[in-house]
Amino acid sequence: MARDNIFAGLEIGTTKVCVVVAEARHDNTLKILGVGNAPSRGIRKGEIVDFETAKRCVHDAIVDAEERSDVEISEVYLGISGGHIRSFNNRGVVVLEEGREEIDEQDLEDVRTNAREVSLPMEDCVLHTIIQHYYVDGQDGVLNPLGLFGKKLEADFHIVYGIRTRIQNAIRCVKELELETADVVISSFATAQAVLDKNDKQLGALVIDIGGGTTDFVVYVEGAVKQSGVIAVGGDHITNDLSIGLKIPSARAEKLKIEEGDVTLGNAFPGETIVLRDETGFAGREIERETLNQIVHCRLREILEIVERQVEADQNLNYLGAGVFITGGSSQLRGIEHLASEVFGMPARTTAPLPLAGVTSAFEHPQFSTAIGLARYAHLVHLDRPITRGILSRTMKRLTGIFRT
Amino acid sequence: MVQLNSQYGREENTSETRKVRVIGVGGAGSNILDRAMLDGIDRVELATANTDVQSLTGSVTNLKIQLGRNLTRGLGSGGDPELGLAAAEECSDEIQAAIAGYDIVFVCAGLGGGTGSGAAPYIAKLAKDAGALVLALVTMPFTFEGRRRCAQAAASLQLVREYSDAVICFENDRMAELALPRMGIHEAFAAADVTISQSIRAMSNLLLQPGLIRLGFDDICSVIRDGDARALFGFGEAEGENRAHDALVKALRNPLMHRGEMLASAVNVIVQIRGGANVNLGEIGNVMEELNRHVSDRTQLMMGIAIDSRMGSRLSVSLISSLGGNPERLAKADYPALEERERLEPAPTPTAAALPEPVVHLQLGDEPSTNGRKIEVPPSEEAVILESAGNRPSGHRTSKKEVVPADKAAPKAAPKKIEAKQEVLQFDAVSRGRFEKSEPTIIDGQDLDVPTFLRRRVKVG
Repeated sequence: MARDNIFAGLEIGTTKVCVVVAEARHDNTLKILGVGNAPSRGIRKGEIVDFETAKRCVHDAIVDAEERSDVEISEVYLGISGGHIRSFNNRGVVVLEEGREEIDEQDLEDVRTNAREVSLPMEDCVLHTIIQHYYVDGQDGVLNPLGLFGKKLEADFHIVYGIRTRIQNAIRCVKELELETADVVISSFATAQAVLDKNDKQLGALVIDIGGGTTDFVVYVEGAVKQSGVIAVGGDHITNDLSIGLKIPSARAEKLKIEEGDVTLGNAFPGETIVLRDETGFAGREIERETLNQIVHCRLREILEIVERQVEADQNLNYLGAGVFITGGSSQLRGIEHLASEVFGMPARTTAPLPLAGVTSAFEHPQFSTAIGLARYAHLVHLDRPITRGILSRTMKRLTGIFRT
Repeated sequence: MVQLNSQYGREENTSETRKVRVIGVGGAGSNILDRAMLDGIDRVELATANTDVQSLTGSVTNLKIQLGRNLTRGLGSGGDPELGLAAAEECSDEIQAAIAGYDIVFVCAGLGGGTGSGAAPYIAKLAKDAGALVLALVTMPFTFEGRRRCAQAAASLQLVREYSDAVICFENDRMAELALPRMGIHEAFAAADVTISQSIRAMSNLLLQPGLIRLGFDDICSVIRDGDARALFGFGEAEGENRAHDALVKALRNPLMHRGEMLASAVNVIVQIRGGANVNLGEIGNVMEELNRHVSDRTQLMMGIAIDSRMGSRLSVSLISSLGGNPERLAKADYPALEERERLEPAPTPTAAALPEPVVHLQLGDEPSTNGRKIEVPPSEEAVILESAGNRPSGHRTSKKEVVPADKAAPKAAPKKIEAKQEVLQFDAVSRGRFEKSEPTIIDGQDLDVPTFLRRRVKVG
């Protein structure tokens, strides 16, 4: 990046490729300079299936963002998603050697390394090791053990991993456009940075980002990432269901979903129909509104139920004080809040990225949560990076800071 | 919690082992055994029974029984099952002699022809009468072999089922996917034989080899008997750094597995992992975790682990299951051998029954016995049974479920599963739409690319 205080987030989504360029201002706030956008092709379920086509889309979006922000992008924070991404929690332990009692940076690094030492399939690699809690000599609730006295340091981490080659595909796509990848971030974390404030994270919150190809979710409990997951089902599936159920072409189904999509059952008048018009405006078939709603309802309910089951399985459902936040393109379907409240048995709301300075009014929209979240992530990393200290402390600070905020 | 059974010392001193006889009946049966012989199979004794002397002399097995010495005079049975049956009846003494003293008898036959269709049920009956546990592995003819052969095969299968404790049925039509259409017919049949011989090998290994986590005949029975005898079988072997993953992928790729899709509708699945001394927990964890993605929540995975130094650096994964469950058939079926077995079984140890959490339960010799004889695990330091109440049901629980299906999970789960299976099968070919060619998203055994309203059978429109 030409200037140190400008960040770009790149989300290669199933529906659209989105680039957000933002500037960190002196008062430590973030200002969006421009957002570039291009419809995606060659991407299915959040993963690249046609490299050349996808590369062209990314190129278009980057050029668009550069034009709008008047900044030349050289480095991006890349959002990653896809059904191959998995996660688990693990605890690392480090016992200080005889004669030393003060916990130093090396111990923090060691405890992290220790937690990462788990057997993963050969093809997988770790994406994130996110600190949840530290324990010093069994004492709970240590926020930062650096400099504390103790004999034994333990730490819980949330570890996210995925299939190496698939992650590399996205990175290569960026590389071939003569751009650097500053960091790879899984989409759900990025999204959480955009839609949750500190308070929500402390209270406990579940963020569900229902995008085009994937549904990403993350659970924050007491300010720490407790659980995350990716389900390779999204808005595309709703479109596909409509296309099969109503026997209409995919493009028509997509349009119908956006214009008329509703998940509320029993809301339509009996026999109420929607007339499908072709491009020339002539009335074609008629379909019943209730049929449409039912198909959409079934799919969305299933997606939410899968998330609910996974959160329930980890027993996190009772810790979501701030409730459920739904975002992403598919969260615009009417009635989704009601449905989600029903599935989770707690308040659920659809949400757009939190307001930021800059040209944001058009982008305060659920679709842009992840891309804006990437810029926020980059900003947080930047804020946590003291200039005077060594690289080790930088990484440590960075990782402790972000996910504890 | 680790418990050492008090019988440990005693069991170590006995040298009695389970004896297994594999009988190939008819031309197809002996081909399968030849293949098994070629691939190497140990600790089981093979025998061939055929009417056709020419085919019989070509067989490599040690014991050969010529059926219908006077009736067919060394010729085949000409595709007549009645002739096949009469031929077998003629030399029932020889057959009985071949079976006598064996605890477990595998009957392998290709149904549809004369000798296989006619003699196999009879041999199964003799084995059963002799008190052995009978496991039949049969192939069904290709559809193009004509209606008559298919009908003969179906009728014979019915009989075989009646006399066997468990039947694994390989449909040639499905096996045909193993071979390319252009492939020579010999190769095609050979490919099918390989699959069957693999399954014999896997089964006999399962039964005979000492295992860290051992699976017994009761487990196999419970898995196969629940279904409608359409076996799902997969076998994969691999070596190298990623062997666990590769072996499972190979096993799932087996045509009898339908790329793992069929697993979604299975109620019980046996998984056996074999490897050399260097098998590690991570690899087993990876296999099981990956497999869990292919099965539904209700599926019971029975895991067996065997350490075999001859495997070297290789690792193999065998999957055995059967499709669907028919609770009515279960309820009506009469399994004298099982009831007998149950009576003879040692009373459930209080630890196994009472502990709510999975426990590591080290014991020796708490195996179900066969026809009064105590079956024991070959004494070796590997021969310990690690039981976890969550994963692997102890012997008495499994058999109870079979005998009294009304009070256990099987009938509850089975009707549901049938429904799900039909849904998937019914729509699978047409309804993945734009996701037809993409990697399937399977969660809890459901293919999420198929529209939800179709899978849940919500009536729309």
